[in-house]
Amino acid sequence: MSDLHWMSAAAAAKAIAARDLSPVELMAALLARIEQLDPKLNTFIRLDGEAAMAAARTAEAEVAAGRLRGPLHGVPVGIKDIIDVAGLPTTCHSKILQDNIATSDAVCVSKLRGAGAIVLGKLSTHEFAIGGPSHDLPWPPARNPWNTDHHPGGSSSGSGSGVAAGLFPMALGSDTGGSVRNPASCCGIVGLKPTYGLVSRRGVFPLSFTLDHVGPMTRTVADNALMLKVLAGHDPADPGSAAPPRGGYAEGLERSMLGLRVGFVRHFHEVDQPADPEVTAALEHVARTLQLEGAEVRDIHLPTLGEFAAVNRVILQSEAWAIHGPWLRERPGDYGQLARRRLMGGAFFAAGDYVQAQRRRLEMIAAVEEALRDVDVLLCASSMDPACRIDIPADIERTYPRQARTPFNVTGHPALAMMAGVSASGLPLSVQFVGRNFAEATLFQVARGWERAAGTDKKHPAIV
Amino acid sequence: MDKPAMDKTTIDNQTVDNKIVEVLARRAGLDKALAQFPDDVAAAVAQAAGAVQKIKVPADPRAEPWPPMRAGDGL
Repeated sequence: MSDLHWMSAAAAAKAIAARDLSPVELMAALLARIEQLDPKLNTFIRLDGEAAMAAARTAEAEVAAGRLRGPLHGVPVGIKDIIDVAGLPTTCHSKILQDNIATSDAVCVSKLRGAGAIVLGKLSTHEFAIGGPSHDLPWPPARNPWNTDHHPGGSSSGSGSGVAAGLFPMALGSDTGGSVRNPASCCGIVGLKPTYGLVSRRGVFPLSFTLDHVGPMTRTVADNALMLKVLAGHDPADPGSAAPPRGGYAEGLERSMLGLRVGFVRHFHEVDQPADPEVTAALEHVARTLQLEGAEVRDIHLPTLGEFAAVNRVILQSEAWAIHGPWLRERPGDYGQLARRRLMGGAFFAAGDYVQAQRRRLEMIAAVEEALRDVDVLLCASSMDPACRIDIPADIERTYPRQARTPFNVTGHPALAMMAGVSASGLPLSVQFVGRNFAEATLFQVARGWERAAGTDKKHPAIV
Repeated sequence: MDKPAMDKTTIDNQTVDNKIVEVLARRAGLDKALAQFPDDVAAAVAQAAGAVQKIKVPADPRAEPWPPMRAGDGL
């Protein structure tokens, strides 16, 4: 088979189950591609190629014996390096944890393995999922496969870069202020921040207890739904875990959008943080396309992005300080500058500031809930700009906060970012869909409708 | 009388007095960071101050936070 590296997870699993594709053949193709491209992309912190190939041989033997572990049997997956994989380092891309070896799998990794997925290795991240892209860490930052001079987004940088480059069909990321959706936006893939509590965070290094989410990153909407079905579920050992309603995520993917009500949050990108004109045009194109597909689109107003960002920052940094305070006091020089600055901020909030942010948060949750009573899904910007250059700190500083992702970490609603088009300079543009709590199926339905109409799943970077 | 500009740090449109930065940093136990990375400490103070100012405090005194303050299984 040719172009195995662009094969979706669902197609690969189906071909493996039907014995049309060997898991060993797939793994060999991806390892060869990793060997060729990773030196340019810095996607991996730790590639576990031998173990992955051994697991592929086992998967092949199991298929021959008529045993399939689950819906991802034999499909490779990359894991962000803040998530534990037994026997491998969890470094969080930081000197602080350079020698930290995980003794067991995180629940999300365990579930993927239970479904038959094969772990390829650990992927680059912004340091502790907050400080990046940084050039003063033990490993270089990941790069964007659409143009390696550009930032792939973060903090799940290696996850976004590797999925987009065809190094693996799916990856795990984490999202505290947009860290799944930012690389999905910059790299033109599909990234979901599920409803808060839907996916267990046990075994994932925390950044902010009440804002952290684990989410799937894939090249297609169907793969994202497939991954979420494996990952979702209650975990009594995760204090933030919810008991989600039963139901599938992929069943309605091909349903018509006739009658669906979409709320377009235009003020995010028109007033709060005026977007690049190409982003604005792409968002309008998405809205028009959804209308043509039968959806009703109307304007919706929410609190401003500036206030959402402030609430997110106070909560995130306060909670992160509780985690990092001891290291920041004793080993400040072992952090990169970006993480050090951002994490130290939490030392300078009063307890009352944190509580006020949490009180305002409840009002913001109510505002989004109110909006979602009148519509089924929200449509809004994800990033206000295409990915900037990775080697110009001023550009990173300017563009990094220009986004509309933090609102839904604050409120916990599910939010999916994906490609909305390609800029004149050849970089992905993005759109974000937001749903009601635990209504990821509707989110996938709308995202798939856009993907089907625009063919975004067929657009790949020209990297060899 | 205004202090000289060198006694203040301005980041993200927030100006902070370096003496206050020092007091806050020492209270937080960040003496090493203050000695080695004073600009980073000042930036962190300025950014924190900026974020707090942008939050609209709920007008209703009965407004509760999220997550709710509730007892868990351990009590």
